[in-house]
Amino acid sequence: MDIERRGQWLRGVLDLCVLGLLRDRESYGYQLAQALEAAGIGSIQGGTLYPVLLRLQRTGLVSAQWREGAAGPARKYYRITDLGRAELRRGGQDWLAFVAPVTGLVTERVDG
Amino acid sequence: MNADEWLRAFAAELRQRRVRDDDARHVVAEAATHLRDGGGDPAVVFGLPGRYAAAIAESIGATPPPVPAAPGPVRLHARGITKRYGRRTVLRDAGLTVRAGQIAAIVGANGCGKSTFLRICAGLISPDAGEVTVTGRLGYCPQQGGTADFLLPDEHFVLVGAGGGLARGPARRAGRAAARKLGWDAPGDVLTRHLSGGTRQKLNLTMSTLTEPDVLLLDEPYQGFDRGTYVDFWDQLGRLRDAGRAIVVVTHLLNQLDRVDLVLDLTPAGGTVRDGDAGWGGRA
Amino acid sequence: MNRMLTVAEMTLRELLRRRGVLALMLLLPLTFYLIRRDAYVGQSVRSLMLGISWAVSTAALFATSAARELEPRLRLAGYGPRHLYLGRMLGLWAAGLAIALPFFLLVVFDAPNLRYGGVAAGMLCCVAIAPPLGMLIGALLPRELEGTLLLLVIVTVQMLIDPAGTGAKLTPFWSSREITTWAVDHTDGGYLARGSVHGVLVTVGMVLAVAAVFSVRLRRRRHLRHLPVG
Repeated sequence: MDIERRGQWLRGVLDLCVLGLLRDRESYGYQLAQALEAAGIGSIQGGTLYPVLLRLQRTGLVSAQWREGAAGPARKYYRITDLGRAELRRGGQDWLAFVAPVTGLVTERVDG
Repeated sequence: MNADEWLRAFAAELRQRRVRDDDARHVVAEAATHLRDGGGDPAVVFGLPGRYAAAIAESIGATPPPVPAAPGPVRLHARGITKRYGRRTVLRDAGLTVRAGQIAAIVGANGCGKSTFLRICAGLISPDAGEVTVTGRLGYCPQQGGTADFLLPDEHFVLVGAGGGLARGPARRAGRAAARKLGWDAPGDVLTRHLSGGTRQKLNLTMSTLTEPDVLLLDEPYQGFDRGTYVDFWDQLGRLRDAGRAIVVVTHLLNQLDRVDLVLDLTPAGGTVRDGDAGWGGRA
Repeated sequence: MNRMLTVAEMTLRELLRRRGVLALMLLLPLTFYLIRRDAYVGQSVRSLMLGISWAVSTAALFATSAARELEPRLRLAGYGPRHLYLGRMLGLWAAGLAIALPFFLLVVFDAPNLRYGGVAAGMLCCVAIAPPLGMLIGALLPRELEGTLLLLVIVTVQMLIDPAGTGAKLTPFWSSREITTWAVDHTDGGYLARGSVHGVLVTVGMVLAVAAVFSVRLRRRRHLRHLPVG
């Protein structure tokens, strides 16, 4: 995949992806990066991920707390807030509404 | 550039971009944790320190340094403190004045009497000369010990709370709330002797803040803390300061001095108080 | 009162969680009782008393040492010295009673023809005196090992000294010894009276000594002045 294009797309939806991952359980940065990769989005470096997390935190969509996990050292855990859930719903619908016509347009051309 | 060098450079870049100390510490600690978890070259994972710092500064929205609130009334006043053990004079004419809303650090080489000075301020031992005036309630956290091995954390909270007339339920809740501020969920069923050294120190610290003292004396309370807890600890101190407490911390780590208002250096031939923001950078 | 009871409760909780110590505290008097059981039962009861005294005072010694670092900060948290030492003593008294009770029942069922009221009174003397004795030693000797050795000396002297001699009256558990003699040897009432008076006096004296030592140790220092906020 064209790396530059992928990067541009990602910039628009990475926050929603993170909110989506946090919807059901809290998590920390490294775990989120792994989950994003496992979901097939590709390798997300810390340098891309943490600024997004900081923005989400600043805008109150996630809350964060340093805590020791069941095993291992203390980590900064992120948890989605009610505001974040609302944003995920709204942003998710927007994305679907946006991606459907795009898919429609490009599918015809690809097939044709 | 190895991870430590990268983190140091990153921290310096953040400071240059006027990211608040609190935020910077969180971000650096988080990056360090990430590197420990995932390994890899920090320059690849995060990019160049300067560029990553710029991205962070933009995400956070850098703020100008906060204008320090005017310090309140004097809460702790120690003067002319002299202490001898046998023929050895540990403290000579040492003094310290801390106001509400200030953090004072006591620094100095090993064995220069830092803990002794603090214990005299707490009234645990008597000086050979000098006097201390404390306004309001006093809280003290020793370097170690001060907890009971065979009691649960909750029972410590109840015990300390009862001293201040708190009933059981409120004492437990206050203790757990204070513990959470250190990023610690006090377990209900683990004996203190089974807690790790760092966690026991969190209990120790929680006990000293539980009664909401006006003057808080802390004797190197962060031994065994990992980086994240250490960050939480200084955040918590900052909150207590902002809430108008007077705080004295004995420390031998100088890198956190940018957050203190006063420094008492007890190194012999020292015994002087200086401004927390000025002139510590050259010392190591 | 609440503060004192809280300290008493925590003392008991700590003690109950030290399973090993608890087992030894029960095993020690039992051994003392059984070791001469085939001979004269009166001697066994006397040994049992010593065993209880030793076990309870050792527990008090360790409880006092364990609280050495904790007490000053409880003092800062709003406790007075008397809350701390009386609370701890209260807890230890309760623990002592709990330990003595099964042994009293053992004697009642195992040894015939004794004055059981006297056995109970003798045990009460042990249980009353041992906690302040252990606390006093724990407060005066900073290290547990030294305290344990001193207790060993006291108990050994108590065991070997001629109870009729004048020196015996200076040993802490002489009261229990006299009352036990009344209970097992069916001697005249003088033993009971002497023992009871001695027991009360030593208990009061010990408690006062503990009060004095702890009040000094946990005193408000003269160099420190407290002002109210305002």
